[in-house]
Amino acid sequence: MESANDYFDIWLKSQELVFGNLTEMTQKFQQGLQGFGGNVGGMPGFGGFQDVYTSWTKSVMNALQGRGPADMNFVKETLSKTLTGSTAYQKLHEIWLPFFKAIQEKNASPNFYKDLTDPAKFKEMLDHVFGFDPTAVSQIVEQASKLLETLAGYSQGFMKPWVDAAGKSSKDFPNMMEGHPESAMKIFHSLFSAFDSTIGRVFHVPAVGKDREKIELLLRSLDDLSVYLAKRTEYEHTMYVTGLGAFEKVIATVADKVSKGEEFERFDEFFDLWIDVSEKAYYALFQTQDFSKMQGELLEISVQVRQHSFKLMELYLYDFPIALRSEMDDLYKTVYDLKKKVKSLEKQLGKAHS
Amino acid sequence: MKSQVKNFNVHNFIKELGELNTKLIKGTETLAAIDEIDVGTAPKELVYEEDKLKLYHYKQKGKVTCGVPVLIVYALVNRQYILDLQPDRSIVRNLLQHGMDLYIIDWGYPTKSDMYLTLDDYITGYLDHCVDFIRKRAGKDKINLMGICQGGTFSAIYAALYPKKVKNFVAMVAPFDFSTNDGLLFSWAKNLNIDSLVDTYRIIPGDFMNSGFLMLMPFTLNIRKYVDMLDMVEDREKLLNFLRMEKWIFDSPGQTGECLRQFIKDCYQGNKLIKGELRVGDRLVDLKNITMPLLNVYASADHLVPPAATRPLNDAVGTTDKTLYEFKGGHIGLFVGSKSQKELAPTLAAWLHKRDGEDQTKASAKPESTRTEKAGRTTSDRKRNL
Repeated sequence: MESANDYFDIWLKSQELVFGNLTEMTQKFQQGLQGFGGNVGGMPGFGGFQDVYTSWTKSVMNALQGRGPADMNFVKETLSKTLTGSTAYQKLHEIWLPFFKAIQEKNASPNFYKDLTDPAKFKEMLDHVFGFDPTAVSQIVEQASKLLETLAGYSQGFMKPWVDAAGKSSKDFPNMMEGHPESAMKIFHSLFSAFDSTIGRVFHVPAVGKDREKIELLLRSLDDLSVYLAKRTEYEHTMYVTGLGAFEKVIATVADKVSKGEEFERFDEFFDLWIDVSEKAYYALFQTQDFSKMQGELLEISVQVRQHSFKLMELYLYDFPIALRSEMDDLYKTVYDLKKKVKSLEKQLGKAHS
Repeated sequence: MKSQVKNFNVHNFIKELGELNTKLIKGTETLAAIDEIDVGTAPKELVYEEDKLKLYHYKQKGKVTCGVPVLIVYALVNRQYILDLQPDRSIVRNLLQHGMDLYIIDWGYPTKSDMYLTLDDYITGYLDHCVDFIRKRAGKDKINLMGICQGGTFSAIYAALYPKKVKNFVAMVAPFDFSTNDGLLFSWAKNLNIDSLVDTYRIIPGDFMNSGFLMLMPFTLNIRKYVDMLDMVEDREKLLNFLRMEKWIFDSPGQTGECLRQFIKDCYQGNKLIKGELRVGDRLVDLKNITMPLLNVYASADHLVPPAATRPLNDAVGTTDKTLYEFKGGHIGLFVGSKSQKELAPTLAAWLHKRDGEDQTKASAKPESTRTEKAGRTTSDRKRNL
């Protein structure tokens, strides 16, 4: 139970942090409520509340990093999902609260609400729903760029266009992550022109051994990656646009209720409405052939990236005294065939004896 | 139009948010105090093992009133313990109480060494070996087959290939006609390049499958479910039940590549089973060979296996004793819903009891008492009977 004790020690420490944050949160919460009458739309108190909430969830998750008993990892996963779920809920709150304030003061027109939407918060909320992680892709590219730089060191400048292209691309990432497909295409073109001015020529020169093969494969992987990023941006863009459409429907429903003088007592009413409308909007999208095709293409490209990286890994590991993936595949096939043969012979023998 | 009325109780909204966070804190405490999530607790005995497959026999505390054993064949996707998720929501316990003699297959968690396993290996290999083992152990020529979800499709193929070994066939929420696009999985699978996927992964990760399932209802399954969970955090039992279901949902074995390749290509994309064009190994599968009584159960609100994929089996089989049973609910509700326990399980038991006639001839094998007998003439450490 040593690991469990460790876990609870960590947990206890986190509780102290939690209580500290709670005290702070309560104070800010009170301030928020006190200032509520005059300035809900501006949300000074609410902003503080959010900060404390965020720091609390972070401290809890940090505390849960320690190892625990058998099912503890699973419990931690559930907690993590719960926090993700409630963070999305929180984000929804952040998006809606300015509306609630404004709706009591301005015209109840859907366009007005639309103008109030903060795209960054909206995107962040949908990222929580679909598990999009914009930083993950950036990290991959950053890593790939570093690798290119390292390679450039011993490939006598051959890689320079690629390093430059990767550098240019990284500048376009923030835009791409905001859902601008043209940024992804820019990255693609930049990488393609690098490809054209280097590998394109190299194909016509004599082979220089395994190193060249590795570089080619790496560049091929990067090429695939850029195609993947373009497709992924298109995919995410479709998701965001659909989410926004659903959001507008929610706004229209709210506006309708407001115009009838109906009251919303609880935030959960909005929450339910938003979930139902969004679920329907995405279901309609997911049902289309276009979406199904796009998803299939995205998956295939991502698989190609992986395939090339596996090959690359094999090339690098070839000289080491370890079994490679393809060699293991052959081994598994042999074992499979042999087992099948043995089972068949056992069956025949059993029949013969009976 | 100018809105002067107070349409939003913002004070309440903020208070609600505070309450949510209070619940979250309490929930974290309750969750941290839980160190074990028990599932599949109905007493059972391991009776047969082959590679990663395990065959269990449930212990019957009462009297067996249905003489023909029932073999439950679950899908390769997710785990079979959904049928015994918690003691008060257990199809298994329910059927045992109704006098059934139950066996269940646990397919296990495949690793890369299993990547070459085909549909043929699962059906004419593992499944057939389990059926033969039970026939021999029970001293019966035929057994009852209860196939669930993908396991129902496997069972239908098996029943068509080996009709002489199956006394009654029960299919539950299993797909047979894949031409429909009613379910999103059916539509998505048609644009999936399964060759690339299998050639790359060999064993398709369970997480990959799960992300597809979560996409079916992303807002409900990623947000609402967890926010709703916070309403029950103070009730440990309710929370445990929630966690049991969570455990099942995310307990997803990988899928053996070659088997999935054929299943996607021939079933989801080619719809060969219902058309009578499916080949398993070197044999053509003709559903008309299903001449034993059939009970086909579908769920009216099934978003994973829509009724349109399930119902057509009854028109494709050769038997005249066929029953189509509609369960009013969803795919998962069919296993753990209270209605399922009250209505479905007793219906299954009654249907099987009614067809439990003594037309069985004793198999040449020894009766049940020979529990330690070897299944094969030669038994290796990889294949043994317990």
